[in-house]
Amino acid sequence: MTLLQVRELRVCFQTGDGTVDAVNGVDLAVSAGQAIAVVGESGSGKSQIMLAVMGLLARNGTASGSIKFDGTELLGLDERAFNRIRARAIAMVFQDPMTALNPYMKISHQMTEVLTLHKGMSYGAALGEAVRLLDAMEVPDARARITMYPHEFSGGMCQRVLIAMALLCRPRLLIADEPTTALDATVRGQIMRLLGNVKSTFDTAVILVTHDAGIVAGHCDEMVVLYGGQVMESGPVAETFVAPLHPYTRGLLDAVPRLDRDGERLRAIPGDPPGMNQLPGGCPFAARCPRADERCHHVRPPGVIHAPGRRVACHWPLGGAG
Amino acid sequence: MSAPLLSVRDLSVTFRVRPGGSPPWARRKELQAVRGVGFDLAPAETLGIVGESGSGKSTLARSLIGTVPATGGRALWQGKDLLALDPGERRPLRRDMQMIFQDPLGALDPRMTAGEIIAEPLVTHVTDLSRREITSRVSALLERVGLLPEHINRYPHEFSGGQCQRIGIARALIVQPKLLICDEPVSALDVSVQAQIVNLLSDLQRDLDLSLIFISHDLGVVKHIADRILVFYLGRVMEFGVTRALVHDPRHPYTRALIAATPVPDPAVERGRPATGLEGELPSPLSPPSGCIFRTRCPVARPSCAGAIPTLDEHDDGRLVACPFV
Repeated sequence: MTLLQVRELRVCFQTGDGTVDAVNGVDLAVSAGQAIAVVGESGSGKSQIMLAVMGLLARNGTASGSIKFDGTELLGLDERAFNRIRARAIAMVFQDPMTALNPYMKISHQMTEVLTLHKGMSYGAALGEAVRLLDAMEVPDARARITMYPHEFSGGMCQRVLIAMALLCRPRLLIADEPTTALDATVRGQIMRLLGNVKSTFDTAVILVTHDAGIVAGHCDEMVVLYGGQVMESGPVAETFVAPLHPYTRGLLDAVPRLDRDGERLRAIPGDPPGMNQLPGGCPFAARCPRADERCHHVRPPGVIHAPGRRVACHWPLGGAG
Repeated sequence: MSAPLLSVRDLSVTFRVRPGGSPPWARRKELQAVRGVGFDLAPAETLGIVGESGSGKSTLARSLIGTVPATGGRALWQGKDLLALDPGERRPLRRDMQMIFQDPLGALDPRMTAGEIIAEPLVTHVTDLSRREITSRVSALLERVGLLPEHINRYPHEFSGGQCQRIGIARALIVQPKLLICDEPVSALDVSVQAQIVNLLSDLQRDLDLSLIFISHDLGVVKHIADRILVFYLGRVMEFGVTRALVHDPRHPYTRALIAATPVPDPAVERGRPATGLEGELPSPLSPPSGCIFRTRCPVARPSCAGAIPTLDEHDDGRLVACPFV
């Protein structure tokens, strides 16, 4: 069953330097209980898609297209109706755990607030539930530590608190926007394992937004590769890693430094990502693509189904028939 | 190996700080950010320093360059002890040691053009150059780091992160240093651009016979550029060895954990790997554990680890490991 269906989503921002097209016609679908990864470099529009889903775009941003959650259209929903969906049905975990918590409020107040506001629970019941969730997120000595302030927690612990907080109302979809980018390598593994458990324990679908292909490999079923605010490729993780269809996906996977392979040089993608206020008319990746020809620079390739479950937006996809 | 360019012996850096949340009249406590670090760096060698945030790797770099005072030990630069020099004596040596930083845009003055930024160290250190000579050197270097001639008159905000880092590299290289210290030079960059910069640094190192100290939290990146790797944890060296051997046959439990925590971008490998992650987090450097500093998170810790601080023992392949149980 499709839980979230994003169609032809466009997000643009009016800025002093002109219009910035952050997201340009993105399609995305998440089924109940599924973990999908949205992979892209900075400026690929991955965070803006998620903010549009949450109705949290900056004031100068406008979204068009369609975002349906469980049959309800979210775009254009008024703030009251959106507040009923946020936290209860869709929750989000942000990149920087230290700044996502209110430094002036105890953890206990920040967590119970969610439940008293959304579920009308009493403070005592809410506190009990909050401690249960912190326990589930393996925060040691949760009952005592819940009365502390955020600055008394480390980055990894704050991220556990935030995941617990996001799960308080048992949302059906959890969006994790670069949840481990600000954390150290040894802590990153702990948080990813917890997020992996969320899917099975809480029966929650997870969208993992990341730039790190290594994380995706171990923890997601499907992946969507973004570049220049457009979907370059989408499909099952296993197949995409083994035989990527889009030259950008290939380049991105090759550029990751690997410990398990010896090779003198890293394989870089030449050039820089395009500026979002001056996107080329054709394929956004054309300027850096080894396979690009004249057509790629002028005609934007449509997303086509290449194999069952796999879509690619490329005039010259890898792996034969194109 | 030829005579070392830099040899560091028993280097320590101690800060006196008030613990977070304590009142301003509270007594300052000692925070040992770096303790007892030693290594030799040969000319044209690349030394990688790996550690998590708070492990003291940046402090180590800064104490060598002189922006943080070292509190103990020696750092011999071609025989001269850097730490004993007064600022006036040190000044001519600064030319030989340059640094590039983590935040590529933040490291550049927003009100100077790329050309002015790159030329500044030259103007400071080599005072007898004509303006034409300076411009020609700047243009040559601009091209060498992969930027275009017309970039010379642009301001930092007009460049992407990767291009800013190229400017930072050019600025460091204009005075023809012998040693380039790179403090997390690629952590703020996207994966595809990160690979460009690592490759550029590695080419420059080879072509110019530079010595490099490459600091990063990402063992995968360091592995691709370093000849030898120093693994750092809470200010102490855990393991020190030749890159290939260290990555393929890690000895110290911390090095092993670090390698296990680095994800492999291959679903077939990644899903089959056992979860051998470390529990817990870095202890506070204000109250570090007694004995072995890693014992609170170590999967093979024994009661005796709380006793004496383990020495850095030399193994058969010349590797140094600070753990008696491997």
